[in-house]
Amino acid sequence: MINVQDLQNKSQDELFYFVGTDVVSSEKIIAPRYSYWRSVFRVFFRKKINIVLLVFLALILFMSFVVPIFCPYDTFENVHVAKTFNLSPTDAMNYFGGFSLKYILGTGNYGNSIAYGIMSSARISLLLATICAAINMTAGILMGAVWGYSKKVDAVMLVIYNIVANVPYILLITVLVYVIGSGFWQFVLALTITGWLPIAFFFRTQVMIIRDREYSLASRCLGTPISRIVSKNILPFLTSVIVTMLATELPSYISMEVFLSYIGIGLSAEVPSLGRMISEAQSAFLVFPWAFWAPVAIASAITIILYVLGQNLADASDPRTHM
Amino acid sequence: MGKYLTKRILFSIFSLLVVVMVVMLLVYNLTNRNAIFQTDDLWNKKSGNDRSYYEYMQYQKFGYLEFVSYSSFLSDKYKKQIGDNYDQSDAFLTDKNAIKHPEQYEKNNSVKEFTEKYESAGYSITYLAPETYANGRAKPGSTAYLIAVKENGPFLRLWEYLKGFISFESTNDVKDPKLTDRYVRFEHDPYSGMFAIVGSGTTHKYQLYFDGSFPFIHQHWMHVNLGTSYTKYRGQEISNVITASQGDLKKQKLQYPKMLGTDQYVETATEIHSLTYNPEPTDVERSQFYDNYTSATLNKKDPSMIGTSFIMGLAATLIAYLLGLPLGIRMARKKDKLADKLGNLYIIFIMSVPSLAYIFMVAAFGTRLFGLPYKFANATVPILAYILPTISLALPSIGSLMKWMRRYMIDQMNSDYVKFARAEGLSEGEIYRKHISRNAIIFLVQGVPASILGCLTGAIITERVYSVPGVGNLLTTALNGHDNGIIIACTVFYTFLSILSIILGDLLLVKFDPRISLSGERGGGR
Repeated sequence: MINVQDLQNKSQDELFYFVGTDVVSSEKIIAPRYSYWRSVFRVFFRKKINIVLLVFLALILFMSFVVPIFCPYDTFENVHVAKTFNLSPTDAMNYFGGFSLKYILGTGNYGNSIAYGIMSSARISLLLATICAAINMTAGILMGAVWGYSKKVDAVMLVIYNIVANVPYILLITVLVYVIGSGFWQFVLALTITGWLPIAFFFRTQVMIIRDREYSLASRCLGTPISRIVSKNILPFLTSVIVTMLATELPSYISMEVFLSYIGIGLSAEVPSLGRMISEAQSAFLVFPWAFWAPVAIASAITIILYVLGQNLADASDPRTHM
Repeated sequence: MGKYLTKRILFSIFSLLVVVMVVMLLVYNLTNRNAIFQTDDLWNKKSGNDRSYYEYMQYQKFGYLEFVSYSSFLSDKYKKQIGDNYDQSDAFLTDKNAIKHPEQYEKNNSVKEFTEKYESAGYSITYLAPETYANGRAKPGSTAYLIAVKENGPFLRLWEYLKGFISFESTNDVKDPKLTDRYVRFEHDPYSGMFAIVGSGTTHKYQLYFDGSFPFIHQHWMHVNLGTSYTKYRGQEISNVITASQGDLKKQKLQYPKMLGTDQYVETATEIHSLTYNPEPTDVERSQFYDNYTSATLNKKDPSMIGTSFIMGLAATLIAYLLGLPLGIRMARKKDKLADKLGNLYIIFIMSVPSLAYIFMVAAFGTRLFGLPYKFANATVPILAYILPTISLALPSIGSLMKWMRRYMIDQMNSDYVKFARAEGLSEGEIYRKHISRNAIIFLVQGVPASILGCLTGAIITERVYSVPGVGNLLTTALNGHDNGIIIACTVFYTFLSILSIILGDLLLVKFDPRISLSGERGGGR
């Protein structure tokens, strides 16, 4: 402790002295290092729930991408044995001789193992969601940036948007499925051929708002090329909006696949998918509830985890939360 | 404003037309037509020329093309010349058998006439030659056919569709020469006790009338023809299919015109205001009616397809607004407290989980815990059947309204006018009720017409799960059954509703918030 009495007794020279100037360190700007993405993840991991959800997501990814390699699934494995159709877990295990992980959730409409089916289906659903979201988001953001920036493009695209947005979505997908088939990649094409338009329209509005902010105007006056204004001034500002969009887009394709399979225009029979499992089990959902609720629960778990993680990442990617 | 609105309506009509054309192109030109034969047993049984001929017939039935066969052309021709016994005449048989000889069929006069007539009308003539084995016996299904086929392009198809879209009844509708007295006039209507506009020579007797059912004033003068169903509702107009009442007959006491004034009556389901012309009434009908307008539709107990969907949707929308808005306001007021967290949990659940999942959850809970009817048709008390589907429909709307109401409320809470109001010493309740929520609601006003008109299109999954006899699955079943007429009709209907709801939403927005200007004369739009 510094005694105040002592200090008062000391003279000016005793209290202060010159330390000289350090030429080298005076050239350095001492400020904490700021890395945008590092700050994003610092804020993101501050919430414990995110870590829990990430562990769950890792578990789901492991179960759906690694485990099916060792536990291959075949929908029509027992299709010739009518006794195996729609068995409860205990009945299934009795029939197939004792406890087995394969029949821990019973069997479905064709004597197929629901547990293995869910894992293989989840892989397809996750792949479909990731690929569709990647294509639609990339195309949507790029087109949206051009659409929002150029007024000529805006006039043309608005007409196209008004027309395409009014063609019933189911109709478009059905016709495409008829024309090109209903395999996995055909389905991706059907979901992406116009799927990027609403995203682009959303970004058009966002870009238009920021386009006319003062700092963009200043850049333009200094002669910055348009491509640079869009990529350096506008898109970074929209990062959190993009991540929010992604958080709703990713799960929406899983729900979309479930919906389309339910109304009968989903993936073809040889591609295992959650939607197909659900729609096949729904007719008997009061009698054989496990066959219905198991895939529903997994689909819901995946969509909720993706949605919440995405929303939290979006919150974290807003620089205002980095304080 | 008027100029802006006219411009916008014209533009909407233009986009409606383009949408219809795009859909026609998709449905008629891009879809694989052979798919209609996938489940057709008759097609499987046929082979050779018979199969090709059958295919053309089916294509016509599904609206892909127009076609005329030589035999029907001959029948028409000789029926006119000879009369009903034409099929015994030599000339007819000679002409009919002419196409059995591939080498010389073209020399026949009737064939020449047929070819010339239809080629000039834009048809292309196809000859399916009979096939024989080497020993001279005919191959199975190898009948000879001569047909004229015309396929309309998207523009012509659209034109044909538009020509029949709106029709008006006139006194020349009835072609019966026996009807001499043709008029349209005001008459006293004994069934409603009010006046009615009654026509003679028009398709319907009552052109304009009043009765006790919504919307109380009805007309038969103008008719909108959305399209004709090809397969599912064989040949019926879709606008009639979706608006006709369903279920068991609803019998009521009714006095036919000749019984009026007496105490006679009959127990019947006849809808007296739907009378149409009948050229040859039966004796019973003559004893009931003064004129030839004796055919009527029958009243049924349950609401129409569109009525069922609309009742259900409207109830759900009402619940959603009554619950969603107050809950959203509550969440904003208790931001980051328990109420807000619970609300967010609900929103996350509803937004992310596939709709199928929570609809089935509602179904499972409702049937197990409360014993509510699961399938619509099984309900003993009809009103109970509406409960679970309505709840299922309301859940997502509540979630989305809560989400947006909370968002807009929080955005408004930091505004200057709120700080000013607080500085003036207004109570928190007053600020929220009179200032913030009123400003926040402006953003949601635009969606109101869309959510009300959207009820008319029905709900796909909900109606499927509970087997509701509504319009929601019209499009999906039509797609599965290749019923192209319904597909086009649905597109027109949905597009019309969507465009109308956007325009109405904008008008409502301007009404609610006078600061907003649509036409760009005032305000800061560019």
